[in-house]
Amino acid sequence: MSPLISLYFQVHQPYRLRDLRITEIGQGEPLYFDEKKNAAVFRKVAEKCYLPANRLILELLRTYPNFAIAYSLSGTFLDQCEEYGEDVLDSFHALAETGKVEFLAETYYHSLSCLQSLPEFCDQVCLHVRKIASLFGQTPHVFRNTELVYSNELAHIARLMGFKGILAEGAEHILQGRSPNVPYIPPHFRLPAHTERTIRTMRPLPLRAKDIGILLKNYRLSDDIAFRFSERSWTGYPLTAEKFTEWIAACEGHSVNLFMDYETFGEHQWADTGIFEFLRALPRLWQERGLEVATPSTVLHAWKKKDKEENIFDAHHYISWADTERDLSAWLGNRIQHAAMESLYKLEEQVKESNDPDLLHAWRRLQASDHFYYMCTKYWNDGDVHKYFSPYDSPYEAYRRYSHALCDLRTRLPTP
Amino acid sequence: MFLHTLMFGWEYPPKNTGGLGVATQGIVQGLIRNGIGLTLVLPNGEGIDEEGLDVRSPGKRRLRRTLGLLHAYDTVRTLEERLRQEGRTIDNLYAGDIGALVVQFEEFAVEMTKDVRPAVIHCHDWMTFGAGIRASSHHGVPLVIQIHATELDRTNFRPHRWIESQERRGLLAADRVIAVSNYSKDLLVRHYGVPEGKITVIHNAHALETAPLSLPITARYGSKRAPLVLFVGRLTIQKNPCQFLEVAHHIHNERPDVQFVMVGEGYMFGELIERSCVLGLQDCLTLAGRASRREVEELMRRADCLVMPSLSEPFGLVALEAIAHGTPVVLSKQCGAREVLKHCFTVDFWDTEKMADCVLTILREKPLALQLRSEAPRILQTLTWTTQARRIRAVYEDVLSPLPRH
Repeated sequence: MSPLISLYFQVHQPYRLRDLRITEIGQGEPLYFDEKKNAAVFRKVAEKCYLPANRLILELLRTYPNFAIAYSLSGTFLDQCEEYGEDVLDSFHALAETGKVEFLAETYYHSLSCLQSLPEFCDQVCLHVRKIASLFGQTPHVFRNTELVYSNELAHIARLMGFKGILAEGAEHILQGRSPNVPYIPPHFRLPAHTERTIRTMRPLPLRAKDIGILLKNYRLSDDIAFRFSERSWTGYPLTAEKFTEWIAACEGHSVNLFMDYETFGEHQWADTGIFEFLRALPRLWQERGLEVATPSTVLHAWKKKDKEENIFDAHHYISWADTERDLSAWLGNRIQHAAMESLYKLEEQVKESNDPDLLHAWRRLQASDHFYYMCTKYWNDGDVHKYFSPYDSPYEAYRRYSHALCDLRTRLPTP
Repeated sequence: MFLHTLMFGWEYPPKNTGGLGVATQGIVQGLIRNGIGLTLVLPNGEGIDEEGLDVRSPGKRRLRRTLGLLHAYDTVRTLEERLRQEGRTIDNLYAGDIGALVVQFEEFAVEMTKDVRPAVIHCHDWMTFGAGIRASSHHGVPLVIQIHATELDRTNFRPHRWIESQERRGLLAADRVIAVSNYSKDLLVRHYGVPEGKITVIHNAHALETAPLSLPITARYGSKRAPLVLFVGRLTIQKNPCQFLEVAHHIHNERPDVQFVMVGEGYMFGELIERSCVLGLQDCLTLAGRASRREVEELMRRADCLVMPSLSEPFGLVALEAIAHGTPVVLSKQCGAREVLKHCFTVDFWDTEKMADCVLTILREKPLALQLRSEAPRILQTLTWTTQARRIRAVYEDVLSPLPRH
């Protein structure tokens, strides 16, 4: 039997920093973020991607009964919707009303807090779950961490938080030739008592889950769309919906999980590449071929009913969906990234003790993984700047602005 | 294929006033390592003894005296001043007399190299173009000219017409043009109308020091010292030293403990002294004048940051020298070196506040300074004169190839 198809799109926008100057530090709450730029980028992406893509998806959901889709909308994206694009939010509401859209949970601020602070991580997941519930009337049951950062420990943390499923990258070095198309589980072990206690007091969902399923991204098929769709030098070019459907139908396993940034449609791959026509054609072809589409929750539910064997996905070290390394090096690969991360979380206690919501908000927006990504110098010497699309001139400019924001934040902390 | 190049240069270390001499030496040594035979003609080349290099100079002829007076970066104004100091009176200095010097060099250069059998002629910057053109037609071989700086770069786009016309003459006559950056190539295409296909970009390199440090390492790390911000360059409009004072002024307002040193000489020396006093920098800024190579190296090693605010810099070798000595750099965006130097700050030349901000950030953020110090020099492992000279060799081979280029 052919596998299920599970589509999940990541939707996120960060708050990019303004060209802060040293002379502004400590001069009374300067704006850290470039409102003009953030608004402009949001509107641009809304017109090129969010609005046309949502229109198309809505049409497809209405036309094809067995088509379904999952989204993860970051909290900062939702904040920006409220600031710059109610129309975008409305279009997501329309999608939610079809009842065929599953919203996943993530950290509200698209942060890497799981690496630094468990209480902050729990806080942000709670905030996000509440936000999704209040906006779309559904409580997420599947968790996906920022940038698909994942480890064994994190899977158990998510389980204790109450999630039944978690998404991860189908990293080759962990799969060792096994298929990414079946759900996995983490190895069994218990977290330290104090960790369990922290999670128990800060859980976003009422009960912890007994077990948790891991859905792995099929990175070949996902990246065929996300990265290679318009690449003329690729042997698969041009990628037609027919060809892609053939590839999926040839897969074995329980589900083919296609995870990618939503901005793939219209922004990374421009409309003139034919990406929207490609997307439009898929559900019809899938229906004709008898391929079923399911959201992550449905996929896991269907798996549970099966007489499954237990496949263990054993990630002792953090993995992610970035680059060929699939590790943390895009955000924590050099000295300035480590310094920025360390300085940021050093402020946690004082920021929280201040009971100043503005301060907390600013500190949290500085946690977005994008800020660290912009400081990446991995391919910088090769001149491969496209790999690291950044709003700033250089990783060093990113650090300059970021360190100024942190310096100013420090001046706003209450003196002990 | 054995190739012999007849090269015309204007200055050569240790008798150089700027990067032209350093680059010429790097290219010469790189070409020799790539198996190219070389005859180098210089107006002032006595005492140069490098293996495999045939240097020709006017020797004790009367000509040498006159030629020696024209420096690589002269403008009509600076030459006039120098001649006056020498006690010479030249009635009509304009074009005519600079012209006379250059023409003398042309005649001498061709005369002295009649016995050479070159495959290609290679010349560096406008003073040598006349000689190159003559030699090219005398020997019947292709002419390759390399542009290290144009008159437009040197004068902030207020060129001396005659010098500019000399440049145009060379660019027109050349079979191939080597530019030291894409920035410079763009300028040659836009302002001089050189066809793009005729230009090859070959960035400059830096010879990594093999000589041991003269001072024990403790001298650098041992004692507490004030932060040092450095400017190295001729004090001329091109290098934009006035802007450095403005940057220093902004930094001084935030961090009065920072010291500034400006190395280099030039006609702006006087006005810079005055301006630095007006800005209140008299106690923290040193105008060091001309410094020896060793002194510059030592300053670079000690500096916390080097600022290069040039108005228009085809390359900017000083930036490579700085990173080779582990000094973080802040460059203007109008600088060719930024194409190869990725681990640095680049700022619009007019934005002195932002330049100061970058320097202050480097001084405040230790991890940033450490990363710039450690990452920037990595490029020098691949960007060597040997690899760059290999590219020059490829240009020779291409221009000599009987097949059409396209």
